[in-house]
Amino acid sequence: MRLSNVKTRSETGLDHVMQSINVMTPFGKKRLKSIVPFMPGDEDRLNEEFRKLEELLALADEKPQTVELLMETFMDLKDISFTIERSKNNTLSVVELFEIKSLLLKMKRVTELLEESGHQLSEEFILLDIMELLDRLDPRKDRMNTFYIYDDFSETLGGLRKRKRELEISVRKEQKIIKQQIETKYGISLTPKFDYCVSKSNKELVRIIREIPELTPGDEDYLSVTFVLKNTGEIDELIREMDLLSEKIEAEELKIQEALSKDVYRFSGILLENCNKIGELDFILSKAVYARSKNCVKPRLVPGHKIVIEGGRHLVVEEILSQKGKPYCPVSISLQDGVTCITGANMGGKTVSLKLVGLVAMLTQYGFFVPCASAEIGLSNYIHILIGDSQSLQRGLSSFGSEMEELKEILDHSKDRSLILIDEIASGTNPVEGLALTKSLVGYLKTRPYISLITTHFDSVTVGEGIKNMQVRGLANADFNRLEKELRYANRRERIEIIQKYMDYRLYHVDNDEEIPKDALNIAKMLGIYDEIIENAKKFLNEGR
Amino acid sequence: MGLLSQLKQKYKTLSIVGMAKNAGKTTALNYLIEEAMDDGVMLGITSTGRDGESTDLVTGTDKPRVFLDAGTIVSVPVKLYDLADAGLEILRMTNYSSALGQIMLCRVVESGYVQIAGPVSTKDQKAMCRDMLDLGAEIILIDGAVDRKSIAAPDASDAIILSTGAVLSRSLKKVVEETAHIVGLYQLPELEDGPARDRILELQDQEKIMLIKGNKIRALDLKTGLSAGKFLDEAIDEATEYVYIPGALTNSVISDIHPAKMKTVEFILKDPTKIFIEAMHWQQLRKKGFTVKVLKNIKVAALTVNPRAPIGYSFEHEALLKAMRSAVDGIPVIDVKMGGEFSETV
Repeated sequence: MRLSNVKTRSETGLDHVMQSINVMTPFGKKRLKSIVPFMPGDEDRLNEEFRKLEELLALADEKPQTVELLMETFMDLKDISFTIERSKNNTLSVVELFEIKSLLLKMKRVTELLEESGHQLSEEFILLDIMELLDRLDPRKDRMNTFYIYDDFSETLGGLRKRKRELEISVRKEQKIIKQQIETKYGISLTPKFDYCVSKSNKELVRIIREIPELTPGDEDYLSVTFVLKNTGEIDELIREMDLLSEKIEAEELKIQEALSKDVYRFSGILLENCNKIGELDFILSKAVYARSKNCVKPRLVPGHKIVIEGGRHLVVEEILSQKGKPYCPVSISLQDGVTCITGANMGGKTVSLKLVGLVAMLTQYGFFVPCASAEIGLSNYIHILIGDSQSLQRGLSSFGSEMEELKEILDHSKDRSLILIDEIASGTNPVEGLALTKSLVGYLKTRPYISLITTHFDSVTVGEGIKNMQVRGLANADFNRLEKELRYANRRERIEIIQKYMDYRLYHVDNDEEIPKDALNIAKMLGIYDEIIENAKKFLNEGR
Repeated sequence: MGLLSQLKQKYKTLSIVGMAKNAGKTTALNYLIEEAMDDGVMLGITSTGRDGESTDLVTGTDKPRVFLDAGTIVSVPVKLYDLADAGLEILRMTNYSSALGQIMLCRVVESGYVQIAGPVSTKDQKAMCRDMLDLGAEIILIDGAVDRKSIAAPDASDAIILSTGAVLSRSLKKVVEETAHIVGLYQLPELEDGPARDRILELQDQEKIMLIKGNKIRALDLKTGLSAGKFLDEAIDEATEYVYIPGALTNSVISDIHPAKMKTVEFILKDPTKIFIEAMHWQQLRKKGFTVKVLKNIKVAALTVNPRAPIGYSFEHEALLKAMRSAVDGIPVIDVKMGGEFSETV
């Protein structure tokens, strides 16, 4: 059974966080991709995950340089698990062996870095010993990230190659001697390739050169002829021997490759396990680095179903604000099974608070730290956020239609310990029926073992036994004189920003019978809607009362 | 001292570029490699990724296959590693890619034949050349474009070695003329440092024609001059000092511009490869006072000539060398087939 749907993961901001964490290795990326949420009952495992996170957080705090070097080591790691598996029945190529050696050197580096840091890390992060295999692939033990079937791999190979090089030199020496003889004898100079090109128009020269016994005509056309050095019997003999040696060398190289491949296979289990360990280290380290950079804390897990957030920040909104150089106003909220409503001013951040609850709950269950001063979480079996989006319009459904479709999904999937987040349901239909529907839904949810959080503008929804009412402070405490002064000369964008500046986004608990403050007209006015319209609206309001 | 030993003192990277297919580019490359072996110069060898040669990837026919001495640093794609006859020590797996996959930098341990290939992008090419120098290469030879028309980025190397030859034309005079024309274009003066250059560099990403007078710069809403000659003519007035053309400079661009205006403005191009005007016409324009400068020119370090054309005819090699040397004064010319000292005076 799944915890949430795709839309909930993206709307709450979980996807954003997952994309923001900087996993560097292919193994870490694999680990991130296969992430599964922790469900109620998994508290011990989740606490263990948090403990590992804390462990690496401590490493990052105390040894920032170690972490930096680790990340540098992770940077160009390649996933060669296929090569490792291939070693079972195949001879690995030189390039593949090079890649194995590179990987081994990286593993050695990771082990050394962790040892040097003096931090005793959990078993999960400690790589298994691979030095024996590394020694096999690096017989010279110079630990350079280069590879070749070096002479040192076998005495035979070294001997064969040495002999071949000697022969090459002998051939060249022999050719050089002949070249010199020709040059002194006939006064011509051959190219480094031991050839000589003559233009046919110089008939006399061609004739003379043809007479030289050490040269033989090679490439020829109607204008020129290239003479090349004739091989002496001695040279021919040397070349024949070289060819034979080449064959032997190739066979010997293949033998070494086969032996090395067998060694790799012998270690394949260890190698693959180490890859997983690196993935785990990379994944959790990047979570730790992210948590540090975003001021996230470990949520306290509790057995009961509840969500208590102190000073929570929605990471996506916070990022946008910080780009504009603006502070974020943290929000606190405490939720238990039953229905809680958030009411309050327009532009008061009700929806953001709703998403914040979703994000904190989701992050916890996916094993992340949470962007709060502190948080207490009891895990949920099902999390769903119902929020208007543009996608439903693209699908051709009216906003009300798609809302109802999704509400049905929620009702069908909910079970005990569900977290249901609903943003202004039924606001797209007539207020009479909308209100009735919302009230009835609240009544239904109230009796279920769900944590339901609903934002709404309908006053009377919030009235009733077992319904908790939270309100946005909004502009209640704002200095309206100053606000108006500032607004007077502002342009459109500035108006919004000024209102945001005076807005108090914090939530507070209100009694059921308290009336919801009516700020809509005020805000419409601040945003420059004509007085005529605002005044008439006020008149209608009074008439209605 | 060979040609390469001399060039080594001035340049770190040299591209070998053909005037046309079969102008003897690979022969030139081999010639320089042999020279390096003789003089003990530590070479780096690579090639530009793009080329239009029809190649058999498996057998590598037509692909440059060169004999390399021990110690040479060479770029080899993963797929060609096993096909190399030389013994190659893998030094580094790079992140640069070629048409044949990721590229590795290798050192030749046992001399032999190697097929080379290089990165596709110019940026990678430059970065890789730096890597090769780090690994100990003294000078890098880049097996460049087969055909000069496909030189994409003149700044990929410090200078080029241009291979030319009989393949260009049956007339020796024409071969020399065309080659000299191209060499002349490549060495066009660069626009001096100053406000005009600064402004062009600042705005050149927009790829628009720009008119500059004094401190003022005006970008026309035209991308290239192609078929835009008339608009261009109208836009140029007496005060215009420079006209920057981001795209190709062709006859059609020039033909609509009033001869009087031609004399007063300087045309600025990105680089000389943007000029598509024949030798003869070019001479006529120059006489009319047409001046062109470029943001970046191309240094021609040497010329190699091949007196033979693959379809059979060939020139008298001494005659070709002599004519070419007098046409491109100051640039070493060598016949890579016949050999002979490059510094040999006419």
